[in-house]
Amino acid sequence: MSFKSIVRGLRDMKVRIGNISRTVAERKHRSNRTVCRIVPDVALSDTVEGRWASLPPKLLMDIIHRLEESEASWPARAVIVCCASVCKSWREITKQIVKTPEECCRLTFPISLKQCFVKRDRAKSVYRLYFGMTPFATVSYEAILEHAPRKMHCAMHSIPFSSIQEVGSAPKPTSLPRSFDEKSSSTPLSKAKDISSTVTAQEPLVLKSKAPWWNEKVQGWCLHFKGRVTVAAVENFQLLAAVDACHNIPVTEQDKVILQFGKIGEDIFTMDYCYPLSAFQAFAICLSAFGPFI
Amino acid sequence: MASTTETKQKKMLILKSADNDEFEIEESVGVQSETIKNLVEDGFTFVPLPNVYTKALIKIIDYLKKHANKTDSNDEEIKTFDKDFVNTTFDDLFELVSAANYLHISCLMNMLCQTIADRIKDKSPEAVRKIFHINCDYTPEEEAKIRKANAQAFEGQFDESLD
Repeated sequence: MSFKSIVRGLRDMKVRIGNISRTVAERKHRSNRTVCRIVPDVALSDTVEGRWASLPPKLLMDIIHRLEESEASWPARAVIVCCASVCKSWREITKQIVKTPEECCRLTFPISLKQCFVKRDRAKSVYRLYFGMTPFATVSYEAILEHAPRKMHCAMHSIPFSSIQEVGSAPKPTSLPRSFDEKSSSTPLSKAKDISSTVTAQEPLVLKSKAPWWNEKVQGWCLHFKGRVTVAAVENFQLLAAVDACHNIPVTEQDKVILQFGKIGEDIFTMDYCYPLSAFQAFAICLSAFGPFI
Repeated sequence: MASTTETKQKKMLILKSADNDEFEIEESVGVQSETIKNLVEDGFTFVPLPNVYTKALIKIIDYLKKHANKTDSNDEEIKTFDKDFVNTTFDDLFELVSAANYLHISCLMNMLCQTIADRIKDKSPEAVRKIFHINCDYTPEEEAKIRKANAQAFEGQFDESLD
């Protein structure tokens, strides 16, 4: 052990030094004893900064490890990302500690996984759907009247309204600035820039639920699902584009169902979707239909 | 009721801090530190601690004395002592944790690391830098990039205080 050998070596030298100790209440001074001179550690600095910028990496690792262990879920887990943002050496240490989601079942850095999440506003029955850090849709449910079907409103922040305007020469999904297939093939960072600029520049596509009609015969609200939905359920819906007169969309297009979802058995539902929605977006919207109890 | 062991003079050790103050403690108290224990086993009774300053050493000796007298009945008392012990500034905590690390007192190290971890939990990266006296070596562009890529981590409210 190097420390012991230093002490031993110094003891052997029997260097005598005078009384240089300051008076401290607890100190006991022995008059006739050999005192060893210890070579000052050059790495030690008197400035606080010098001392703590070099907190032993082992200790820093211990501290960050404790945070990683205790903060298993978001939003508390943000602290791990914060640690990684302090400086380069902290980032390195944090990255060593954080395991991949496959290994530890915890999400930390977006790079480790495409993180998607749903933010629910229970009181307002609003669901914000996120792909990565970007909201791609906001689905809200509204009960207009008692015993009448709830209304759905779905703002697709990721799809410009123009995507349904160019009838006949509709842009292919891959050419959409915020198509998710395209997004996953490029780096999240460069894409994040595109998204934020697109989002403000273009009017988003808004979907609304098709209003059902009252069927006297069955004493209930009805929608035509063309045989794809067979069981009456609160979850059943059809979404159309919400169109203004100024958009110049032909009536036939206005009536086009972009997404429909409905029950066909006790625990089985069908989903039909078409351009400009992706399967991912369509599924996410449909799943939100199970949420609100209105 | 003095027993023979108590009448015998207890084995004592001298600890010397980095600022050359000397402290006499009982050997049984000192050997809670692995570093001191190793030296004692090699026959040393004088232990220079060039990495431990007087201020930290006084606190650590207090801690060792308290924990050396651990019995079944004073559990609460020790808990209160520990709570007070860590109720100090970050700079003191760092000084103490470095000293505890050097002295290899694992229970103290655990307690201090946990305290530091708990206390930086809600801090912003900027506050953490100030607390740890770290110069940020990211360029503003790099930092902005990190923030953007990890936007969900920076949404909440941070505690910007430095204590």
